[in-house]
Amino acid sequence: MSNLRILQRVSADINSTLDLDEICDVALRTMDELFEFHHANILLLEPDNNTLKVIASRGYENQAVGGRVPVGTGVIGMVAQKRRLMHVNNLGQQRAYASAQRREMEKAGRHAQLGNAIPVPGLPNAESQIAIPLLIRDDLIGVFSIESPVPRSFGEHERDLVSIVANQIASAIHNARLYEQQRLAAKALHEANLSLENRVAERTAALERELRVAQALLNEARSRVEGPLLGGSALVRGLRDAVAREARSVEPLLLTGPAGSGKEAVARAVHDASGRSGAFIFVRCGEITAQHRHGVETKALRSPEESFIGSRFELASRGTVFFDAVHELSLDLQRALHTTLEEARRRPSATDSSTGDVRMIGSTTHDMRQPPPGAFLPLLQLLAANRVTVPPLIDRREDIPALVDHFVRRHSRRLGKVIDSVSPDSMRRLEAYTWPGNIRELRTVLERAVLVSKSTVLEVDEEQLSEALAIGSYRLVTSLGSGGMGEVWLAKHRFLVRPAAVKLIRHDVPPGTAREQLVRRFEREANVTAALRSPHTVQLYDFGVNDSGSFYYVMEFLKGLDLHQIGTRFGPQPAERVIMLLRQACRSLAEAHERGLVHRDIKPANVFVTRLGTEYDYVKILDFGVVKEQSGHEATLLSNPAVVQGTPAFMPPEIVLGEKRIDGRADLYSLACAAYWALTTQTVFEATTPAHMLLQHVQARPVPLSERSELVVPRQLETILMACLEKDPARRPASALELDTQLAHVRCEAPWTNERAQHWWEAHAPDVVAT
Amino acid sequence: MPMTRLPPEIRPVLENGTPAAMVTCSADGKPNTTVISQVYYVDEAHVALSFQFFSKTIRNVRENPRAFVCVFDIAGLAHWVLQLQFERSETEGPVFDAMDMQIEAIASMTGMSGIFKLRAADIYRVHSVERVQHPRWTASWSNG
Repeated sequence: MSNLRILQRVSADINSTLDLDEICDVALRTMDELFEFHHANILLLEPDNNTLKVIASRGYENQAVGGRVPVGTGVIGMVAQKRRLMHVNNLGQQRAYASAQRREMEKAGRHAQLGNAIPVPGLPNAESQIAIPLLIRDDLIGVFSIESPVPRSFGEHERDLVSIVANQIASAIHNARLYEQQRLAAKALHEANLSLENRVAERTAALERELRVAQALLNEARSRVEGPLLGGSALVRGLRDAVAREARSVEPLLLTGPAGSGKEAVARAVHDASGRSGAFIFVRCGEITAQHRHGVETKALRSPEESFIGSRFELASRGTVFFDAVHELSLDLQRALHTTLEEARRRPSATDSSTGDVRMIGSTTHDMRQPPPGAFLPLLQLLAANRVTVPPLIDRREDIPALVDHFVRRHSRRLGKVIDSVSPDSMRRLEAYTWPGNIRELRTVLERAVLVSKSTVLEVDEEQLSEALAIGSYRLVTSLGSGGMGEVWLAKHRFLVRPAAVKLIRHDVPPGTAREQLVRRFEREANVTAALRSPHTVQLYDFGVNDSGSFYYVMEFLKGLDLHQIGTRFGPQPAERVIMLLRQACRSLAEAHERGLVHRDIKPANVFVTRLGTEYDYVKILDFGVVKEQSGHEATLLSNPAVVQGTPAFMPPEIVLGEKRIDGRADLYSLACAAYWALTTQTVFEATTPAHMLLQHVQARPVPLSERSELVVPRQLETILMACLEKDPARRPASALELDTQLAHVRCEAPWTNERAQHWWEAHAPDVVAT
Repeated sequence: MPMTRLPPEIRPVLENGTPAAMVTCSADGKPNTTVISQVYYVDEAHVALSFQFFSKTIRNVRENPRAFVCVFDIAGLAHWVLQLQFERSETEGPVFDAMDMQIEAIASMTGMSGIFKLRAADIYRVHSVERVQHPRWTASWSNG
């Protein structure tokens, strides 16, 4: 093949690909056809510009690939440095001659002048070598080298040919590199785009989720607060005037009024009318636990309580913080709130305190003429200086039509019903009713009526009203609160005088599996509780399902405080009192365990302390709602395996781990946690998240009580409780009765007597135990 | 001395790198024979020899500019005999650069950079060139 045709083919082949390996392969093959050599290398300049690296070779079985040559060394390095073609023959002899000269110098002791011999990749016994620089314009990109073991001659024509091919190789390699750079850049850009798209999608999804949650919260808040200020009665007009007046004030405000009368709505209205740019922060005081407080970072010069209160004020910066049922805060927190308010009053424009720009509103159901038990009087006095009373619904009866109209429209819109009006009879009935549950009760009654209505004219008959307020033989008097299981009402028997507590399933659980599960759980709770006879277990009077499908049970009404309330309001309790309470709890649990039942949710809030006749500090164990039979049969029937039932701060490790065989010793662990809390008002473990808390029950060693208690804890008691807190149930007391016996042997300096208990109640909560 | 032109066919012989024999003579007439690594083709009338060390050859040439070089043509089984006249010494320019690059390439591999070094490219005018076929080589080749 003529040289010209070879060159034509080289040009076509090299330019047909952008793959560097293919280009090198074509280049080497073509050179071989042109010059019939056996050894050749293509080297490219490394990014450091000081080294050349062999990227392709022929005749070396690729052994040379990867080898490196410093620029300026050997024939190749010199060609790279001078950027000129070089042809050398007689290489071996020249090297031998130079080496001989070197040996002469070494013999003459002139070592200092000599450098190191540098091996270069290539044919070791090459006699002839031609190397051509690969140039793009004036920039060197590499070197092409041909080596031969016999002398070769390269005339002008051959040198020109080599140079032409080398130029083509250089261009092709350059193009391939540019293409590769572009490809990598495009790939990186594509990946960056993808990553960005994913992040945007994730962020968008997260924001949408947050928005949905925020919307739901807002709707839920609106449902509570819309309406209470509607109407034209003198009382509600006065209330609206008070809202307008208070909106201009910065002084702390106290709202008083019965449960369900709309105190939160008034607080929100004051906030909305104030034009404050910050948020409205709702603090449900009765639910603040030591855990919440410990979750807040304590700041310098502040107590943990002040830091907690300060954190709520900071959230409400330039807005309003609403402390609902402020008297239910612990004494420490009430003191801290008082300090914070005093500080804000002294330094209203202090830049280092966000409290100066936050409006504080508190609420209480208590009449200020008789301060609630456990109240910190200086705080109440400070708040009561600026007070607004929210009247009960019965006092503003003339507002009922406007409120009915509002709630019916809202419920019918939400439930997708068409209700044009309320029948006159129904309206008369609604106006005549006493509404002990106030606006909250009115809203609930109307929601239920709208739900069951089959006509465009809403009917609320006597049955529906009494249904809301009469359960079996009991008439509901007032709402006592709500929890995870449902609502609890104070009720009275129609014929007997004894008061009772009625527990109703929550109304906002939609029909479906969750509702069915809740009903079955409710039923089980009632059955289990009914089977227990211990005087220390809350007594069940009645249970059933009413005509509208609501499930209820009636239990003895207990006046008193649970252990959580006692600890929160009055601080750590003396060891002798805790022992006495624990022993009673043990007797309740002993019976349950004997019947094969485990409570599984023993916690301070379920240890209720009451007065029974002449006995003070009488313990009743509440809420057998998550009781499981020890066989686990009922548990598998009802429990969602993905949901751990119980309360994290008091949960035994075996329940955390989901072990199937749970026995009464699990309750003893929880009871010890409750005792730990009563003695210290601190949970056994501190954690900022429920998951962290659960993990610690499984892994962490509890800090001994004596190191955390402000009061003296007898060593015997500490040993017993720490044994109950063992991770391995086998190392705990074998039964509740054994624990009771152990506790009976703990020696205390001053035993907790009925007299001491009576004195305590009279001093701390006289209204609770008053006959 | 008359000037002659180098025939084209000698160029591959010069470039094949086979050592050549060189004969010089001192001012007082003492001859000296040495082997040189390469005779560089400069143009039709000139060749260049490398001046790397202060050897007797260089001293002789500086005293007596005439020299005699015998190049071996391995492929053609012949000698080429050149009569030369030292004309000048170059320490820069394309001829010097080409020779210097080659020598430096070798020196850099053996740790002799800066020592095994071209000091000058000595340019000789060619006075005569003669190709001598060796009869015994031819015979042994043909018999072989």
